[in-house]
Amino acid sequence: MSEKKQQVSRRQFLNYTLTGVGGFMAASMLAPMVRFAIDPVLKASTSGEMQPVVDVSEITTDPQRFEWTVKQVDAWYTSDVTHSAWVYKNEKDEIIPLSPICKHLGCTVNWAGNESYPDQFFCPCHDGRYFKDGKNVPDTPPNAPLDLYEFEVKDGTLYLGKPVPREGV
Amino acid sequence: MKWQASDLSTYFQSKEYIDTLCIPLIPVSISNESDSIRLANYKRTLDILSNELERHFTGRIMLSPTYSYQAKSDINMEKKRLNEWIKEMSNDSFSHVFFITFDVLWKKEEKELDGTLIWIPANRIDDYQSDETKRWINQQTEQISELIRSFW
Repeated sequence: MSEKKQQVSRRQFLNYTLTGVGGFMAASMLAPMVRFAIDPVLKASTSGEMQPVVDVSEITTDPQRFEWTVKQVDAWYTSDVTHSAWVYKNEKDEIIPLSPICKHLGCTVNWAGNESYPDQFFCPCHDGRYFKDGKNVPDTPPNAPLDLYEFEVKDGTLYLGKPVPREGV
Repeated sequence: MKWQASDLSTYFQSKEYIDTLCIPLIPVSISNESDSIRLANYKRTLDILSNELERHFTGRIMLSPTYSYQAKSDINMEKKRLNEWIKEMSNDSFSHVFFITFDVLWKKEEKELDGTLIWIPANRIDDYQSDETKRWINQQTEQISELIRSFW
């Protein structure tokens, strides 16, 4: 009985070996492919991650500009990219983090940047203006409100994510 | 706007809004170690400054690729070449042309240039990550921005 059990025919032996070797080869070919397919999904979080920007206690009802630096990895080189946001608390004590990028042609807007409009955002390039809530002032070059950053507050620190465009007026 | 494909397509769509050309002037020399290190350092600083400037005024400034020349070359020749360059590049679409440089040689030739020279006293920076450097860069950008705005 035991003798019979151990008997492996030449055909079976070859079958086993080939399946084993073949399987191993297939696996070694497929594994990198699977990794390539999944990797971008895992990697996508690097630039979209929430970044710690400022202590919530520093945020006032007047918009203040805060800057932070993100490492941006390109195919060819790594660079530090500075982002900034105008942040304030509105009457309902909600945090409003606005992107400073003008919706007209991408300049950096300033709060109270023009003496004649002390309670508006002002773009020095083509006199674009935005109200405090980021809505564009009609009849100035921009045709959309300033983007609003995704944000969250964790342990008293404000984290900002991606700027999200809003509907135009 | 920068000299890159995506910005240039925006430029050609909104040409009438972008009326200012900025050209960084960079001398190059590799004759001895200390000079070349100094010039390379200035180049990096000028790159940072001009990029910051472009970030402030993306919608109105076209930042040209750096104009490089040999540190020892004849300034009169360079002046002629630079003026020809601007004539070709500005092509009547830029009403303001600014040069940004650390090279004091241009200062004396300023009047004969077809544009406004912004000469910044050089500052050798050793640690680009330090808060002090960041403050210096911010202040310089702020002041150059103000100067450019006074021309608009």
